[in-house]
Amino acid sequence: MNLVRAELERLAARRFVQLMVVLLAVAFAVTVVTTLGGSHRPSAVELSRAQSQAAQEVQRLELAHDRCVQIKAGTVTPDENDYVPRDCAQIDPARSEQLPTASDYLSGVFVFAKEAEPLLYFLIAFLALFGFLVGASYIGADLNSGGVVNLLLWRPRRPTVFAAKLGTLLGGVLGLSALASVAYLGAFWLIGQASGLTGRMGGEFWASLGAVWVRGLVLVLLAAALGFAMATLGRHTSAALGTVAAYVVVWELGARLVFQILQVARPDRFMLSSYLGAWLAGEVRFWDDSACGAGISGFCDGSYTLGWPSGLVVLVALTGALVAAAFAVFRRRDLI
Amino acid sequence: MSAVIEIAGLRKTFHTLRQGRRVAVDGFDMLVEAGQVHGFLGPNGSGKTTTLRALLGLVRADSGRMRVLGADSPERLPEVAGRVGAIVESPQFFGNFTAHRTLRLLAVAGGVPTGRVDEVLEQVGLRERGEERVKGYSLGMKQRLAVASALLKNPELLILDEPANGLDPAGIREMRDLTRSLAASGVTVLLSSHILAEIQLICDHVTIVSRGRRVAYGRVDEVLAGFDQHQWQVRVAEPERAAQLLGRAGLSVTGQAEHLVVTGVENPETISRTLGEQGLWVRELIPLRPDLESVFLELTGGHGPVAVPRQVDGAPAHDGVIDLDVSDGREVDA
Repeated sequence: MNLVRAELERLAARRFVQLMVVLLAVAFAVTVVTTLGGSHRPSAVELSRAQSQAAQEVQRLELAHDRCVQIKAGTVTPDENDYVPRDCAQIDPARSEQLPTASDYLSGVFVFAKEAEPLLYFLIAFLALFGFLVGASYIGADLNSGGVVNLLLWRPRRPTVFAAKLGTLLGGVLGLSALASVAYLGAFWLIGQASGLTGRMGGEFWASLGAVWVRGLVLVLLAAALGFAMATLGRHTSAALGTVAAYVVVWELGARLVFQILQVARPDRFMLSSYLGAWLAGEVRFWDDSACGAGISGFCDGSYTLGWPSGLVVLVALTGALVAAAFAVFRRRDLI
Repeated sequence: MSAVIEIAGLRKTFHTLRQGRRVAVDGFDMLVEAGQVHGFLGPNGSGKTTTLRALLGLVRADSGRMRVLGADSPERLPEVAGRVGAIVESPQFFGNFTAHRTLRLLAVAGGVPTGRVDEVLEQVGLRERGEERVKGYSLGMKQRLAVASALLKNPELLILDEPANGLDPAGIREMRDLTRSLAASGVTVLLSSHILAEIQLICDHVTIVSRGRRVAYGRVDEVLAGFDQHQWQVRVAEPERAAQLLGRAGLSVTGQAEHLVVTGVENPETISRTLGEQGLWVRELIPLRPDLESVFLELTGGHGPVAVPRQVDGAPAHDGVIDLDVSDGREVDA
């Protein structure tokens, strides 16, 4: 426990960590100020007009659905402006997940329910970057400067020191991320209350936002562990940064290009970014060029999806393997 | 006396892509007993630091047995780590932390009362500078901080690798006094240093290592005595005649510009009587005792040609042979 306490204090006292926290605060402040400056509380007239526009749009959707059903039944002849899908349920407003609301027709008004998710994605991206960089520099600088040697002279149990450092890192990053995201969303909810609209925030909204938040926090922890493991293996912070840069250039860009030239089916399956997106968004849909080739007539759905479970499995397996390798190397390495 | 450090047959080989296989420590033995101030001498690259790192669990030995305060190292080192203070080479500290904070964090991590921080800062002479950031410290101040970190645990065994690095003459003297006072209070000290005069002043025992092997060990005076050739510097009015008389008496004499050197005489009375009986009166009779530096240089092959720079101690020794070849240009970093 003493070791964790000391490590937590060392982590918090690191210049790089402090700099990243300041950057987060600056980004936070800039976003809040610009949002506040660009939003106003809608007047009764604006609100009424927007509600009316939303109602009209819903009505138009209902009419389009009714007409689709009638066309399918053969009671109405379709004209060139009609959109008739294979199943009219696809355009049934009653089944639609997102019906037009008044907030869609308000200009210059911040609506929390509409903006919360993109804002949260931005925060998660920042925190994931923060976690990776802090994780890498925390152990990388210590290995390089002799800090680990100092610590091992005091606590000559390498597994304990490794676990304490990783645990402290993950705990610290999780605590900061949780606090930052609550403060961040709380501030924008207040802006919605005071200078905009909070929007429709039912149970479904909170469940969806909560799922993104939890998945985001897991991603931040995985990024921190990944940075820590890579820097441990490479004995330097730059080893982690270099590995990621090399991966992006060689595999995500280079190999993707080669796959395209060789017309490999579903190349996105081989890219880490696909699983990252699948985990964060819950599901991602890709188009398979080879699915609807020659010999197929009529409608062909060449898309395929990757869901969050496969994203989680790939990300956890990769991170777990690298952390295990880092642990094994750290246990046996000569510290000279 | 009980053994505080026991090393037997320690061997460590490093493998690197560029340099290949290099034996850093080759069957090294060492014994440090409780209460000793034990000097650990060897040229650069002779395996001193590798030995200390292996002893402290920082480097994995290929073979050999090590015990610290009765516990096998590195397996049972955690059991005694709280009683061992150590600095290995020049420890690095976070430049943005103050000395006080650096030591406090170590104390917290090691479960030592934080009140001890001020005591050790006082002991190493950093009390007034304890709240300054380490990055502003001179090399000597950083070295003092390193020693302070080793003292924090109030250790029974203190291992200091080159503690005088970067210290000015006053600092070296303070470090000497500190080491003596610790030894007087019962702390066993293992001191690795290049400053041979310091070792001779402070240490009662010594181990000399060359090319990864122990080449001499024991009490400092006994090690020196082993190299004593019983030489005497003699100054007389007629040196040529004196040399003839001493030679006829069966003594080995070499002539210098202003004096004679007589070798192999245990009792100087033989010299003065031989000359006095022939009417030659001795003006000066000085014993020429070996010092640690001359012994060290002889043992480690340091007596090289003046014009040829001596190379660091890189190659493993052959059995029982002190290799005096000084032209080996390989460079090592252990």
